[in-house]
Amino acid sequence: MHAQLAEVVVGYSTEVRPGDVVRIDSYDLSSAPVMREAYAAALRAGGHPTANFVIEENDETLLKQGSDAQVEWVPPDQAWNVERGDVWIVFDAPTNTKALSNVDPERMTRRLKGRRELQATYLERSAQGEFRWVMCGFPTQASAQDAGMSLREFERVLSRAAFLDENDPVAAWKRFGERLEEIGSMLEQHRELRIVAEDTDLTLRVDGRTWIRSKGLRNFPDGEVFTGPVESSVEGTIRFSFPAMIRGRQAEDVRLRFEGGEVVEATARRGQDFLREMIGMDDGARRVGEFAFGLNEAIDEYTGNLLLDEKIGGTVHLALGRSVPGTGGENVSGLHWDIVRDLRDGGEVYADGELVYRDGRFLNGAS
Amino acid sequence: MRDARVENLAELIAGYSLDLREGQVYRIDGEDVALPLAVALYGAAIRRGALAYTRIVPSGLDEIELQLASEEQLTYMPEVEQLATEELDAWTSIWASANTRSLTRADPERRRLQLSTYYRIVNRRWERISAGDLAWCGTLFPTDAHAQDAEMSLREFEDFVHAACHTREGDDPIAHWRGMSETLGARARELEGVRELRIVGPKTDLRVVVEGRRWVPSDGRHNMPDGEVFTSPVETGTNGDIFFAFPSVYQGQEVENVLLRFEDGQVVDAEATSGEAYLRSLLETPGARVLGELAFGLNYEIDRFTRDILFDEKIGGTMHVALGGGFDEAGSENKSDLHWDLICDLRDEGEVYADGELVWKAGSFLSPAAVERV
Repeated sequence: MHAQLAEVVVGYSTEVRPGDVVRIDSYDLSSAPVMREAYAAALRAGGHPTANFVIEENDETLLKQGSDAQVEWVPPDQAWNVERGDVWIVFDAPTNTKALSNVDPERMTRRLKGRRELQATYLERSAQGEFRWVMCGFPTQASAQDAGMSLREFERVLSRAAFLDENDPVAAWKRFGERLEEIGSMLEQHRELRIVAEDTDLTLRVDGRTWIRSKGLRNFPDGEVFTGPVESSVEGTIRFSFPAMIRGRQAEDVRLRFEGGEVVEATARRGQDFLREMIGMDDGARRVGEFAFGLNEAIDEYTGNLLLDEKIGGTVHLALGRSVPGTGGENVSGLHWDIVRDLRDGGEVYADGELVYRDGRFLNGAS
Repeated sequence: MRDARVENLAELIAGYSLDLREGQVYRIDGEDVALPLAVALYGAAIRRGALAYTRIVPSGLDEIELQLASEEQLTYMPEVEQLATEELDAWTSIWASANTRSLTRADPERRRLQLSTYYRIVNRRWERISAGDLAWCGTLFPTDAHAQDAEMSLREFEDFVHAACHTREGDDPIAHWRGMSETLGARARELEGVRELRIVGPKTDLRVVVEGRRWVPSDGRHNMPDGEVFTSPVETGTNGDIFFAFPSVYQGQEVENVLLRFEDGQVVDAEATSGEAYLRSLLETPGARVLGELAFGLNYEIDRFTRDILFDEKIGGTMHVALGGGFDEAGSENKSDLHWDLICDLRDEGEVYADGELVWKAGSFLSPAAVERV
């Protein structure tokens, strides 16, 4: 699995070319084998790779014991990577997904604020094609535990989701990419979407915005089309099926009501204070920066791993906070928080009044 | 579970070796097996207000690079490394290996090319250290690989390392090293009054002129553990024989029972019971026939050979010399790409005479160093 995964992220997702400066990051030490494979693949492609572990325990130390100046500081190697690097490969290999659960949210917010400028550079350079980055899922005991399964079982889930079972995974991703193109083109014909499901009736305008086809270049595994809805147009209610997770914390059974594009009511069965803290982070955190369809049908169950969950075939998700450059979205925020709604049991989507999607699938002939 | 000794070591390095202060930019380097110490150092740095980050790499990358990289890739200097070398205020290198012999079979020429980039960083680092712009400390985190080289279990080796650093539970490491610093400083000042040292021991009778050279106390600032005083002898003033009972290791290769004969500063004869060809090939390096260093090992918690020079050169009761490049700070004029430390055990029957006076017998100085208290 390691060599295949490395080949796809180096050869397909980021297309490492001779002379590229490539930074490979990961978290849990158990991911060393895939880092070595990615390092080797990047060398073969003619790049200049380095590999580095990001130490979760140090994040905890920083957030709990650091001064404001320390928390807001961006290490020079991270800044250089974003400002000058060519390729950034991150293996999302957590040691303990809840290690930061008990950190004061204000500290997390401060850290995000300290990185806002760098974040903007990162999104800008990647939109320009100057900086190719990929966030690649990697199975660890911690992520398997969140998914309620064994490590071996979670390896299977991830391997399927990444099409590593196919004879030629890269060709499979290219074919899948064509399907995402069709869906994106269809959606671009429409002005307004309405999502209807139990406890959910949400409308948003998408005219003039671009639908981005996520086909395994920035996230891996992948499979979504997304845009930034017209900021002031979001109206109605949505109840999310899956826990809303960010940075090791979560809110469950989140319900949001929007008026004129802003959250006017936010409730959660668990984690309501955290939800409100996040939404109160800044003005942009109350608005929607992204709306998306999850389209990877090789991912069919919730695993508590956002990278996979937001791509579950038959779901939609929206992100509170920052828009993604390239979509036409204009929302600015320190937050970008994706929350997922399952539509496989009776959910419907109307595009300019026409039913285009039901029970988790686009209807044949939807135009 | 946290090892209190590792926390002690981190506090010692951050608080004493580097004297980290608020706002200083500090980097911790090491391989994945060094993680517990890297985490402890990071915490110690944060508590001192430093702006800290780590560079923890998976083990085995050097081997992959040697196998796959083009010459251009092999000698590539990442800009971000260059910037760090210029801009860091403080830096720790943790030497912790998962396998100390993983590159033993690598092509030596390719390895030389690969290391040339690393040495550019090391050389620039020392320039900045000498100028007082950078605090740097190299240390070791015990792993099974190092324990195996030292012919110990990991548990025994951990005990050994923390004894050598004075970071055992209940130790006051900073007080110890402050005291050590005074003692070594006093000893260095004493030695600066000496014109010639004569070293007498098993198969050893060597005269070394050190007049006019500076003696430098190694007091735990740049290495942890530490504990030596060293100088670079006058290049033409070494005469006689010296025997090294410990194996001498250079880049993973061992040479045993080395015997060197000097005339007017130059090695004129060299023997070894094994690895003699390797010894002779090293002596062909320009500048390698001259002593670049002469030192007393004075850390008496280090009482055995470990095959790791960080410890071995400080074994209490030994002296060591290095063939090749000397130290600017000591006043050396010898330049060489080689700097090969060889350790002479003087613990049983060794004697050292300073301008004819017996000053050292059976592994220790006869008089305590005259520490001047202010």
